[in-house]
Amino acid sequence: MTLVLDRERARPGVAARNGRARTWLRPVAAVLVTACFFLPLYLVLANVFKPGDEIVRSPAALPFPPTLDNLTAVLTRTDHLFWFGLINSVEITAISITVLTVLSAMLGHYLARAAGPLPKIALAVLLCGLMVPPAVIMTPITEVLRTLGLMTSVAGVVLSNVGYYVPFGVFVFTGFVKTIPVELEEAAALDGAGRFRTFWQVIFPLLRPASASVLIFLGTWIWNDFLNPLIILGPASGTTVTVGVYRAIGEHQSDYGAVFAFMFLASIPILVFYLAFQKHFVKGLTGGASKG
Amino acid sequence: MTITSPPSRTARRPSRRAPLAGIGHFLAFGAPGLLLYLGLVLVPVIMSVRSSLTDENPLHRSTRYTGLANYRELLGDPAFHRALGNTVIVTAIVVVVPNVLGLGVAILLDRRGRLYHALRAVFFTPVVLSSVVVSVIWQALLTDDGMVNSLLRSAGVDHPPGWLSDPSIALYSVASIIAWQMLGFCVVVYLAGLQGVPPELHEAAALDGAGAGGRFRHVTWPMLAPAVTINTVMLLITAFKAYDHIQVITNGGPGDGTTATIAFSVVTTAFTGNRIGYAAAMSTVMLALVAAISVLALRFLQRREVNL
Repeated sequence: MTLVLDRERARPGVAARNGRARTWLRPVAAVLVTACFFLPLYLVLANVFKPGDEIVRSPAALPFPPTLDNLTAVLTRTDHLFWFGLINSVEITAISITVLTVLSAMLGHYLARAAGPLPKIALAVLLCGLMVPPAVIMTPITEVLRTLGLMTSVAGVVLSNVGYYVPFGVFVFTGFVKTIPVELEEAAALDGAGRFRTFWQVIFPLLRPASASVLIFLGTWIWNDFLNPLIILGPASGTTVTVGVYRAIGEHQSDYGAVFAFMFLASIPILVFYLAFQKHFVKGLTGGASKG
Repeated sequence: MTITSPPSRTARRPSRRAPLAGIGHFLAFGAPGLLLYLGLVLVPVIMSVRSSLTDENPLHRSTRYTGLANYRELLGDPAFHRALGNTVIVTAIVVVVPNVLGLGVAILLDRRGRLYHALRAVFFTPVVLSSVVVSVIWQALLTDDGMVNSLLRSAGVDHPPGWLSDPSIALYSVASIIAWQMLGFCVVVYLAGLQGVPPELHEAAALDGAGAGGRFRHVTWPMLAPAVTINTVMLLITAFKAYDHIQVITNGGPGDGTTATIAFSVVTTAFTGNRIGYAAAMSTVMLALVAAISVLALRFLQRREVNL
């Protein structure tokens, strides 16, 4: 214990010796670099709250006094593009990530526990799927969905998401299940619990960190997806909010106030989601980074 | 090694696993996920390869088997060659730039405290935003009379570059925008890697007389190998998939396909040009390239990790 404390004390000592005079340098550099990086986002944020003529006149100025006109214009559009899109986005994202978490946790559990060559082959085939670019399978998927009668429907987008992201879920869950001792399941089985009960009451709660990573990553990817909803939902009114942003630029080429307000509103849900789960986000990435 | 896995334990394994294995376990837990993957990824990939051997086109009455005709056409198609070259350029920029800048930013932000925590969150924000949103932001900044050029004009530059309208620059602009969006991802992964380096190693190296540069080269950099692998693989996948940014920012132009990558050409050939068979041949070539590059990259990167 004393050893550890000594080490911790040694580190700031070294740092202080090397640059006592320049301790202000790092925070100042860090803030400047971050500010440059943030500039494009600032320009959007500031201009959402400015009237159109002011955006053209002084795009970089702070919005003063701020106006909510751009936002209300998007929210009160007569075609309800934003609201229809929001409903579709929430439906598609919520259903997809719920189904994906359940399915890939179960499949990951199976692949981590089952013996023999077949599960190994299945895992390899699944992981190849991580590399398939969506553009490659877009046309055949529309054929499959047309056969099932699911083109231009939310269910069609959900189904294509589920198939496409199962490999990612399995990738996360398989590794995680392996860290859970088999003995736990055996004990539950000895106590008379069936396969499903053992999984749902013993294993699934232990998988919470893995489930958090899967939910968060897939949540953002599916919310932000462009190609699938664009092609599967088609041009019918009310796509997803992400496709809505694309539609909005088509209509108001140069009316940045309206376009930025649409983007701002479309991004708020996913930003709130990210800020709420920020820790798990970093843990999900970190888990991968340390495992290699 | 023998201590952690005594033979008696391995011998007992099959019988101890019995309650978990078996056909019932497969049907209940394995089959649903595998079937969906099969029907919506694997079968479509096979359908795509099969359709690459035909002249499939929704505007034609019937589809004929044409053998390798599509592939022969690809060989002599200048548009495809350009898309291939564009993909290589985009991939190079998207893999190298966020990796290098991300490591720099991570080193800069590798300190405890509220300030550094908040700055990290800022870098990660674009990763969470939709690529459509990021594209629209940069389009507003970079169009000919956009904010960047008005700034340049007021600073006395008479003819600022046409970031998105000059055919010789547009591709680099689009690739840089993707790189900007992915920077935060690399920063976070490198920060995790940096925090995994035990301080003892730095102290030992410092005692042996290594300067800051030496400590980075001989201690930090080798310890970051897994982080480099994750970032590079993630960026490779992102670069190959690049479609949204191109569709929204330049729609493949300016001019004829100057920013069209393979992913973009596949989608436009299939859905705008209706040449599904020809697009499928393109996707098959793309799939082969992705597979080859993924295998090569993983081999190379993981060999680096093992050699530590």
